[in-house]
Amino acid sequence: MSAPGVRAGFQLLGSTRRLLHKLDKCAVFRNYTGSSALNQNAAPALPAGSSEEIVLPRKKKWDKIAVLQALASTVNRDPTAAHYMFQDDPYLFPKTSAEFKLYSLSQESGRNTAKYIINTYPKYFQKDYAEPHIPCLMPEAFEPQINDISEDALNERIQLRQVKAAVDIFDQLIQGGTTVSLETTNKLLDLLCFYGDRDPVRDDQPEHKEADEVEAVQEDFQKRQKGRLRKASDLIGVVWRENNNAERIFNLMPEKNEHSFCSLIRGMVKYGAYTKAFSMYADLLNNRMTADVHTFNALLAAAPNTREKYNEKWELIVETLNQMSEQKVQPNLLTFNAVLKSLRKCGSLARTQSLQTLNEMKALGIEPSLATFDHLLGIFYKAASSVRGPTDMIFEVLDEIEGKSFVARDPDDVYFFSNAMRVCLDLKDVELAYRLHQLLGEGENWKLLGDAFQQSVFYGRFFNLLCMMEHIDMVMKWYKDLIPSLYYPNSQGMMDLLQALDTDSRLDLIPQIWKDIKQLGHTNKADLVEEVLALMARDKQSPEVQASFADCSLAVKSVYEVGDRGRTALEWTASALGNITFLLLRAGRMQEAWGILQLFKENNRIPGEALLAEFLECAKERRDNDLAIDLVKLAASFSLTTTAKFASRVKEEFLLSEEQKKSLEELDVLSSDSSGSDSDSDSE
Amino acid sequence: MYRRIILLTTRNRSGISPSAEHSINITNQQETKRISVSTCPNRQRMLYNKGVCAPNKRPFSTSTAISKENEESSAPKTGVTEAKVKEKEPKKSGKENLLDLLSAMKVDVTTKKKFQALKSQKSKEQPRVHPESMESATSMFQKATTEQQAQKESLSPELIAAASAVASSMPLKKSQMESELLQQLRKHESDTEVHKKAETNNIGNIIADMKVGKHPNARSPNRPANQIRFDDDGRGYTHDRGVVNEFDAVRRRKSLFTGKRLNIFPSTTDTTETEPKEVSVPSLWDIELAGQIAAVIKHLPRNGFEEMIQWTKDGKLWQYPINNEAGLEEESDVPFHEHVFLDSHLEDFPKQGPVRHFMELVINGLSKNPYLTVKQKMEHIEWFREYFQQKEEVLKESEAY
Repeated sequence: MSAPGVRAGFQLLGSTRRLLHKLDKCAVFRNYTGSSALNQNAAPALPAGSSEEIVLPRKKKWDKIAVLQALASTVNRDPTAAHYMFQDDPYLFPKTSAEFKLYSLSQESGRNTAKYIINTYPKYFQKDYAEPHIPCLMPEAFEPQINDISEDALNERIQLRQVKAAVDIFDQLIQGGTTVSLETTNKLLDLLCFYGDRDPVRDDQPEHKEADEVEAVQEDFQKRQKGRLRKASDLIGVVWRENNNAERIFNLMPEKNEHSFCSLIRGMVKYGAYTKAFSMYADLLNNRMTADVHTFNALLAAAPNTREKYNEKWELIVETLNQMSEQKVQPNLLTFNAVLKSLRKCGSLARTQSLQTLNEMKALGIEPSLATFDHLLGIFYKAASSVRGPTDMIFEVLDEIEGKSFVARDPDDVYFFSNAMRVCLDLKDVELAYRLHQLLGEGENWKLLGDAFQQSVFYGRFFNLLCMMEHIDMVMKWYKDLIPSLYYPNSQGMMDLLQALDTDSRLDLIPQIWKDIKQLGHTNKADLVEEVLALMARDKQSPEVQASFADCSLAVKSVYEVGDRGRTALEWTASALGNITFLLLRAGRMQEAWGILQLFKENNRIPGEALLAEFLECAKERRDNDLAIDLVKLAASFSLTTTAKFASRVKEEFLLSEEQKKSLEELDVLSSDSSGSDSDSDSE
Repeated sequence: MYRRIILLTTRNRSGISPSAEHSINITNQQETKRISVSTCPNRQRMLYNKGVCAPNKRPFSTSTAISKENEESSAPKTGVTEAKVKEKEPKKSGKENLLDLLSAMKVDVTTKKKFQALKSQKSKEQPRVHPESMESATSMFQKATTEQQAQKESLSPELIAAASAVASSMPLKKSQMESELLQQLRKHESDTEVHKKAETNNIGNIIADMKVGKHPNARSPNRPANQIRFDDDGRGYTHDRGVVNEFDAVRRRKSLFTGKRLNIFPSTTDTTETEPKEVSVPSLWDIELAGQIAAVIKHLPRNGFEEMIQWTKDGKLWQYPINNEAGLEEESDVPFHEHVFLDSHLEDFPKQGPVRHFMELVINGLSKNPYLTVKQKMEHIEWFREYFQQKEEVLKESEAY
């Protein structure tokens, strides 16, 4: 944004003639780009060109990070590099998603530990070197300074969010006969309701402290961020207990205002006491008070949990909205998002009502956020229920939001992209996925992609879809672009890629993919490794490809021999061994192939007939009699039923010496014996 | 790219018959396939001529911003045009016609019928136009001049004067120089003109059209999805499209926001009274909600600069200077005169004599010192005040005070 501005500035400085020249260029350039940002900056320059008078460019407001932002916008993502946060230590570049998680968490935990030490022992960190003073480097005060029993002390503890200590002080104050002001009590109530009557966890606190409680509270917060995955356990964490401190203090309050009621209702909704929240709301109405918009939002979110039937749920929502309207409470974005979110639990009603809700938003001039559209998609593309027939909602949504840049206004905004990509995947619509991806590049939209988990879900779905529908060249282009800088595919993702390679018959890329598989740490996934081998061994390829396949197969073989990074080695299967042998044979590497053949025995696997036949063919081509005989011997040692057939073939097709013939006949007898005994045992 | 249109019209004016133009267009069209963007309008125009099919509207919508800003710059020019027209009486009719022609062409560009009418109008004028350009051809570059004539009215006289001034400073080829300069200028003029005119075209229509045109395209890929819905790669459920598919287009709403609303809340238009938002301290809930929203979009810096931005926001990093006042936080509210005019602080000193003289020199030096804050300067003066007060007796004795 500012870079073109700088250029426009330079143009103004230049001589008139140069300016004219530049302008001409600029004009041409503009026609091609059509970028409005550029044009706005060039705007003051244009009249300057057409007359002598000096037209000052509009004053640009700079803030302290403007230059850095301009510079940052010039840096593009390096598709081959890991995330910037790992830049410091090349040894710790994550190569798999597990490593990514581990390394980023350990980095974060290191920071938290440092902070914990500083905050726990502030007296050792009082020296202030910085000039001017840098507040964020100084220890934070977590210990209350006021130690007597007073309202100030209570306020301080509320400020420090020490729930238990605050309740203690409050109780002591009440027992001492002091009345606590309404304002302070409300603050205390806020604190109690927000944290569900538990002490919150400090960012830097080690988790083992009061393990169970800490976990419970923290879970709650994290889950809200992590999404619906652990929704079920959400309720188990912290629940609204009967007569907890919040309710007790609420009942103790001599006078209550709207704020007290609202806070309690919100707390009840937050910690799952939905029915209670509604009865508290009834109390509030009985006291001739009105709730605020946030409380209504909470109630709307709670509504579907208090009723059984879909239509009853919706009726309650409508009733709540009507009461809002009666109380002249202006709804906001979160209100409607709460309605839509609740509608997701209303089954068949949801479709029509959600559209009406959307139109209501429109009529009230409330700009929808991504969460709004996410809920819409959730309503229209319910997993596992396609009873309602087709819908074009995703297209309409994309038409609506295409080219727009969004800012986060609802905590649920970050779920939109991954869910929309799920819809694209279900529809198997690549164009749509591209449009969605395009939208992600718009403005600051990438920020709304969510945390690393959401991001990997989004790109995982995108990549899955690409593998399924797109031409392999495009798939590889995206593959190179996304991996590993944005996304670490799981083994299923690699499987999809292999299938895409197979579909477009570009199996020659497999050795390259194998390297990535190894890098991504998927070598312990037996099905993936076998798939690689099977695909390579399935058809005959050109000699060069066969050679590279053979190398690759040896690389694969090493996975079976030594476990990758301390993990246990894979167990050999007959098909894997067979495929490797095939590949080596086709590349003409008899010696190594023979070596693999020995592995069958060691691992108690039996080679297939086709493999031995192929082996025999190779021996024939090379006129290697010894090998042929060894082969028959091998077959005999496995007691294969086809040994006799092989032996006769060898006799016919090879020019054998007497000695060799003799040994072969011995074998023949042996094998017929063994086969005879086999049949005997069968018949018994 | 719009320049082509202008050039073509001027070519018309200079006597090339419509059929000739047609053939040019055809050859150009073949180029179009290779060059695509730059000659696009040609093809478009071509399509209009034949009335074959709906044009590709994209080139018009590329940047509305251009036209907007150009509007202001071109606004004064119409006045100039009229002046120019009055000035040159004999050419008046031709120019007015041309003006009509230009505007008509831009506005009516969507309808084939009007375009044809326009064409006939053009061909009517041509005989008149041609001799005119002949008579004004004073220079040897006749073609350039015709184009120049066609556009002359759109340039401001100041600019022309300036150009001729530049040209006259050249020893040789004055007229050529001038015409070259003006020609260069007019390139922008023509651009401006076209953008301005293009905007009068109902852009809303164009956009609406585009959407409709794009939609089936975007939707077509999901047809195959139906055919392969029994693939084993499905995710366990498929969307039941069937016969209904054919009626998709019929059932489709125009946009998300058409249809009934809940009609619960009064719309904003009749609730004009804005909520009396009591400016209270944000409650814990508000803070935490804001924190939560900030947390979901909080991303780790993607490059070194973003990390520096983060540090700057944290206050860990000395901020990148963006003006001459970087690092002057302390002094940012102090006006300059407090730095420079320090006389007022000398009131406690004797009105004359060597001390006064000395102090005047001191404040003179201080007023030129950019490195001290005003506070430090005050302290400096204060120090002398105290010093001289302590030495008052000595000074009085020596009659210097």
